Amino acid sequence: MAAASLTLGVIHLIVWVKQRLQYAHLLFFTLAISAAVFGAFELAMMQEQSPAGYAATARWSHVPLAILILSIVWFVYFYFDAGRLWLAYAACSLRLLALGLNFATGVNINSHDVSSLDPVTLWGGVVVSVPVGAPNPWVLVAQIGNCFLIAFVIDASITLWRRGTSEAHRRAALVGGSLVLCIAVVGAFAASVDWGRVHAPTIVMPGIFLVVLAMGYELGWDLIAAAQLAAQLRVNEQRLRAVVESVPSAILLVDDKGMITLANAQAETVFGYQRAELIAMPVEMLIPERLRTSHAGFRQAYAKDARARTMGTGAELFARRKDGAEIPVEAGLSPMPTVAGSLVLVSLIDVTRRRQIELATARQRDELAHLSRVATLGELAGSLAHELNQPLTAILSNAQAAQRFLAHSPPRFDKLAEILTDIVNNDRRAGAVIHRLRSLLRKEETQRHPLDINDVVEEALRLIRSDLLNRRVLISTDLAEALPAVSGDRNQLQQVLLNVVMNGCDAMDDREVQRHLLVRTRATGRGNVEVAVVDSGAGIPSADLERIFEPFVTTKSQGLGLGLTICRSIVEAHGGCLWATNNVDRGATLHCELPINRTNGDE
Amino acid sequence: MSESFPTVYVVDDDPDVVKGIERLLQSAGLEVATFQSCEQFLEHHDQNAPGCLVLDLALPGLTGLQLQRALEHQGSVLPIVFLTGRGDIATSVQAMKHGAADFLTKPVDDAELIAAIHKALATDAARRRARGEQARVAKCLAALTERERQVLEQIVAGRLNKQIATELGTAVKTIKFHRANLMRKMGVRVVAELVRMAERAGVGSTPRT
Repeated sequence: MAAASLTLGVIHLIVWVKQRLQYAHLLFFTLAISAAVFGAFELAMMQEQSPAGYAATARWSHVPLAILILSIVWFVYFYFDAGRLWLAYAACSLRLLALGLNFATGVNINSHDVSSLDPVTLWGGVVVSVPVGAPNPWVLVAQIGNCFLIAFVIDASITLWRRGTSEAHRRAALVGGSLVLCIAVVGAFAASVDWGRVHAPTIVMPGIFLVVLAMGYELGWDLIAAAQLAAQLRVNEQRLRAVVESVPSAILLVDDKGMITLANAQAETVFGYQRAELIAMPVEMLIPERLRTSHAGFRQAYAKDARARTMGTGAELFARRKDGAEIPVEAGLSPMPTVAGSLVLVSLIDVTRRRQIELATARQRDELAHLSRVATLGELAGSLAHELNQPLTAILSNAQAAQRFLAHSPPRFDKLAEILTDIVNNDRRAGAVIHRLRSLLRKEETQRHPLDINDVVEEALRLIRSDLLNRRVLISTDLAEALPAVSGDRNQLQQVLLNVVMNGCDAMDDREVQRHLLVRTRATGRGNVEVAVVDSGAGIPSADLERIFEPFVTTKSQGLGLGLTICRSIVEAHGGCLWATNNVDRGATLHCELPINRTNGDE
Repeated sequence: MSESFPTVYVVDDDPDVVKGIERLLQSAGLEVATFQSCEQFLEHHDQNAPGCLVLDLALPGLTGLQLQRALEHQGSVLPIVFLTGRGDIATSVQAMKHGAADFLTKPVDDAELIAAIHKALATDAARRRARGEQARVAKCLAALTERERQVLEQIVAGRLNKQIATELGTAVKTIKFHRANLMRKMGVRVVAELVRMAERAGVGSTPRT
């Protein structure tokens, strides 16, 4: 029995050495070893021949017994993770007090003196020594301690049982039950022997051995369960790894120091680093150098207020590849609190392709807008020629007048100054028309600048003025003052205005009544700026109010029906909207609402 | 009236152009008045003042062609030189049919414009002279008695005194008396001159009742 106890004890010592936090294994080791040593003392006592030798052996047997009991108390405390501490302390201190009294009073704690040894024949004919003498009254201390021990184990078992899991039930019943039973039986038996009620040797070891077996069984279960758990964990980890690897996004796990602790295959592809290089690399290495310092700050701010969120959908977010190339990305962050510190799970998508497609779409829109602009200007060619012709006429007349004044005798120099001023002004006027025309005809990428929408309106109307005059359209403007600037492409917005105004004129072409077109600008309640072009034509059938913006829908004999479609796409690319309504009295209004510029200065 | 200096009226909605043309014409020694719309011109125009009109076609409000029509209705003789940025054939034909003096396109060369204006001013002067003559004849005619007028009509028709006397049922002597009187009143000495004057005044063409 002692040998079996030793074996079990050593096994758990090894387990404990591997897992220093598992005190139950260490305590089981001391428990099993002290049980084995105590068993050996018990055997020696029974074979003792002299009363003095018996007393001494019994006295020393209390040392392993005390260790055994202390081990039981703390084993239960740690293994059950239950029990009242004061009961545990009471049981332990009474036992240690008993150990002290064991050496201080009588021959040992059990006996006051051992006068003789009485041989008793056990079952199987084995003859053992049983002491004869007066009992030591201090043994009561040890027995009260045993009562506290029982109380402590019962209390701990009940607490454990109440946790409700089947494992807790089994552990409480098996370990707690066997402990209580064993301590009660063995304690009662020993007490009876001590007080001389029973004339038998104190054979405690078999009971203790049963307890050791029960505990060993239970701990063994734990070891098996741990092994199963480990296997389960491995399966789970494999599954998790498969998931992490198959996700189309790059996944990084970053610890609180900003070091990468996990990266998937996609992360290798996106960043161009090998996984081994990524692991334990500061995450800032994946940020473009110009943003690195600010990123560390962001990371710390995030750690303080960690919430799952998406980044890079609004603002542009860039990552840096190993080769130094910058790629646009979108990132999602999720905090992952663990025992080893708080980690952040970063999932990244390389949006280079998407940005390319967006860019290509924008370029196509620009191209289409340009074609439409050229077509519009073609329609306006007459008007534009007139706009050039007027200043040219003024220049020629002024210059020839000057020649004539100089030919007078005497020459009239007095007129020259104002003539030259007018020539210069008219040349500038012609130059401005050409400049505007060139700018409208040029094919270039959309450029956003803060614009005063009233300027855009006035410039567009200047270009189209002669055409309006020719078509007998009376144009008036109602431009709100001090409007906030909009952010936009001057050429494209002018194109929209030209198109919308020309559409308004077309709508009035076959009407004999007063052809009146009003261009109005105002700030809207939504914090935007609206340009409205109000015509006095026939209006738009309500079913067509939306249809006129569809491609190839036209009411005119010439024209593709793309003008308003392109206008709407331009306005929408500016973050605004373009729509039509019918006026209460007559005609229709085209509304163009544009968001105001929110950037500071030129961008 | 006709003794005042002729004025060139310039109507164009573009102030720069108006100013340029005005200077050019002034440098050529012409009297210029400028207007930015047809309405403004009509408001200030004195039919009796001699001159000519330099008119743009495309104007806000009343157009150049509409102004030409309006002046025609008023019986104005003012010659019009059209000066336009983009004159199409249809418009220029319209303008010429209604008696435009010239049709020029911008930008216009000074010589061309000034020549056209001088021509128009000459036309205006001739028209006004003719008008003055007509007025004088009309005045003379108005001074004739009913009988003298009847005799005048017979003379213009080429009748001899005897035939006239028979026609009017009176003596040849009486006809001769009337004839001398009306010659004096009309301020002519020979019959041929009288006939030419009467014809210009449309006397012969008035149907007899």
